[in-house]
Amino acid sequence: MIKIQNFTFYYGGAEKPALKNINLEIADGEFVLVTGPSAGGKSSLCRCINGLIPHFYGGKVTGSVEVQGLNTLQHSPKELATRVGMIFQDPENQLVTQDVEREIAFGLENLAFPRDLIARRIEESLDTLGISALRHRPLHELSGGEKQKIAIASVLALHPEILILDEPTSELDPKSAEEVLSIAQRLNDELGITVILIEHRLDRVIQHTDRLIVLDGGEIVVDGSTRQVLQENYQEISGAGVGMPPIIKLAHQLEIMGITDNKTPLTVKEGRVMLQEVFQKIAGELPQQEKKGINRPAIEVGKLWHVYPDGPAALKNVSLAIGEGEFVAIMGRNASGKTTLVKHFNGLLKPTKGSVVIHGTDTGRATIAELARQVGFVFQNPNDHLFADTVEEEIGFALKNLGLENGEVRSRIDEVLGRFRLDKYRRQYPRALSGGEKQRVALASVLAVQPRILILDEPTRGMEYRLKSELMAFLRDYAGQGNTVILVTHDVETVAEYADRVLLLGEGKVVVDGNKRDVLSRALLFSPQINRLVQAFARYGVPNDILTVDEVLHLLK
Amino acid sequence: MISFRYKDKGTAIHKLNPFCKLGWVTSIFVLALIFDNPVYVALLFLATLPLVITARVWREWASVMKFAFYLCLSIIIINAFVSSHGSHLLWQAPFRIPVLGAPVLTVEAVLFGVGMSLRLLTIISAFAILTFTIHPDDLMLAMIKLKLPYKSVLVTSLTTRFIPTLIDDVERISDVQRSRGLELDRGKLFQRIKSRMAIIIPLLSNSLDRTVQIAEAMESRAFGHGEKRTFYREVKLSKVDVGILIVSFLPLALGILMLWLGQGGYQYYPTLEKISLGGLEYFMLALLAFSLGMMTPLASAKKRIDLD
Repeated sequence: MIKIQNFTFYYGGAEKPALKNINLEIADGEFVLVTGPSAGGKSSLCRCINGLIPHFYGGKVTGSVEVQGLNTLQHSPKELATRVGMIFQDPENQLVTQDVEREIAFGLENLAFPRDLIARRIEESLDTLGISALRHRPLHELSGGEKQKIAIASVLALHPEILILDEPTSELDPKSAEEVLSIAQRLNDELGITVILIEHRLDRVIQHTDRLIVLDGGEIVVDGSTRQVLQENYQEISGAGVGMPPIIKLAHQLEIMGITDNKTPLTVKEGRVMLQEVFQKIAGELPQQEKKGINRPAIEVGKLWHVYPDGPAALKNVSLAIGEGEFVAIMGRNASGKTTLVKHFNGLLKPTKGSVVIHGTDTGRATIAELARQVGFVFQNPNDHLFADTVEEEIGFALKNLGLENGEVRSRIDEVLGRFRLDKYRRQYPRALSGGEKQRVALASVLAVQPRILILDEPTRGMEYRLKSELMAFLRDYAGQGNTVILVTHDVETVAEYADRVLLLGEGKVVVDGNKRDVLSRALLFSPQINRLVQAFARYGVPNDILTVDEVLHLLK
Repeated sequence: MISFRYKDKGTAIHKLNPFCKLGWVTSIFVLALIFDNPVYVALLFLATLPLVITARVWREWASVMKFAFYLCLSIIIINAFVSSHGSHLLWQAPFRIPVLGAPVLTVEAVLFGVGMSLRLLTIISAFAILTFTIHPDDLMLAMIKLKLPYKSVLVTSLTTRFIPTLIDDVERISDVQRSRGLELDRGKLFQRIKSRMAIIIPLLSNSLDRTVQIAEAMESRAFGHGEKRTFYREVKLSKVDVGILIVSFLPLALGILMLWLGQGGYQYYPTLEKISLGGLEYFMLALLAFSLGMMTPLASAKKRIDLD
């Protein structure tokens, strides 16, 4: 059992507490989902349970945390290791050795367990997670998802009673994410391990959880049984910036409209049961989305091949055109060639064969710097972007590289600072800002150039809901002004809501290319939640290319 | 891209006990330092080749040697121009540099550079065999068995583990900055250094973040829990291994004997010494070559024994 009483924590030198007067009891065997906006205190909460706070992160502590009867003030993470296992966000940064067996042995070795016991525990952990096939592979050859499973196995080998997973899926693709989450669910279900999971995407896990805790500003704002709090505290939860799964959003709206009484469906199946009666009564026609023809082409790709040195072909004979003002999502499995394709659009990669033409310029004949005037590229991690001493300089960097004159540079800086609400940070050190602010600075520094084509490589991965919807609304608007927006992403729900067109890549080829309605509906696993929900009601005349909550509501009005 | 990472290719050399390889490389290393005679050093260099070929790491080896070759070239050039010893003048500069006088180029200085390069190539070649055929974690275990402190060895091993990650980071960050119009090879030296900062600063601060995260993860898995620690894997020495280990030091013993007999010395300055080898010297050299060459067949025999 975990017992937290009147716990308040200030990181060393911080003025505001990271955790404020927390009172919490977690019983053995519970599956607890902890969510909330970034910097809301989620990670701090987890770190106080295994003693990293205050033993690793010093600071001011009041109150107490007891784990299985041990006070964490007196017991350090090393001592708690056999009771509390901790999995972190980035699988890369929690592996210590270079092979699977040794990695799993690491914790046991530290505790000076005898060799035969270590051997048994390695066997056990590999089997429990079903990853014995990986045992002789070198760690550096494994994918992110596989590495994360090794990290879980290496913690599991210590036989912890409590498992804490701190955003374990934010660096993973959807399929691996699903696998990692179902492992967490199984460990809870079959072995009775208490699981505390931090996540900001509720739709993947909500049905497995017993309890939902929402942290905002270091305080617990909502705490209770999942189904109950989703029903009773809907406003508080979404008010804290938590993204509700589409089905729950729909149920809530329907309740407000008086169409159903809220039964809070947690799965697509429950959602179908809820809608059964509704659709039996009403059937309508969804207004046809007007299909836009292709405008003047911004990007023309002709018979493009790309082969990495010493590697297989990453792109095989890709031809396509993307028009001005289009909002295109590029989707596909990992290593399907998404990133390779978009890196051709700003000249980071040159075609091995074939051609890429950007607004009439062949990328083979232009430098990256020349193309940078037209094509802006936002990469996933803002920490890779930021290096200047002030936010202002950071934004001016690209402008100066392009040789703009000082007056122009200054006015553009002022313009984007205003647009991204960064005025007050103008003279601050960009790397010291919060995650969301850093993201805005990186985006602003790219947009100051006013690129006619904007490419974003997985910008929403691991991003909290509020920021994500802000960014997407902005991109929608940017495309509306006649610019081309290209989004590389795994996030089906976001694409369903904001994009126009979807390009699905597989094995270096374009598998499907078309309007999002055609691509995302009736696809087996690629469909958004709402589409999977309505497909069953085609027999009542419900159009089966509905993708979002708003469209369902529109239909029912 | 050739990766500079250990890869288990399952050859006899890979399977050979790390201590035997360490012993053998130590022999080569010490001998390369104590012998001055280029013929002797050349023999040492040649002796590393069978292992490279048997271990099937010649591609990796070649890329390391290519780098070493450029290094040697610069050593030869610098030495030739800086050293004014030697009596056979190749060229004399028509100008004078204050204090140093007129630079001269002598046959002896050039060949001295070549001799030193051969020595360096030999040592690099021997160490390349270690890097490419010993699993880094096994190397760590071996170091610990040699009574080096665990924490220092672990830090070293962690560093090697993150080198490829660091290379990825550099590639990613330079993609980001180039997309922002950064041109690395334009402008004056100062400008170039400044533009490198756009890559170095994110790289360093990302690495710092990484360090904290690894420390956290290690702490959570009971790192530093007590004085005692088990090592799940062991580098064990079987009787056969001990035998091979003794053989691996044989060349070193021979070499010391040869040095004591007055062999293996050489003078480059002031004029090149003539290399004339007597009967005993040929005999000893042959013996040395034989003892060095034993390693590959012994490793293969060992692999066969293990399979049986």
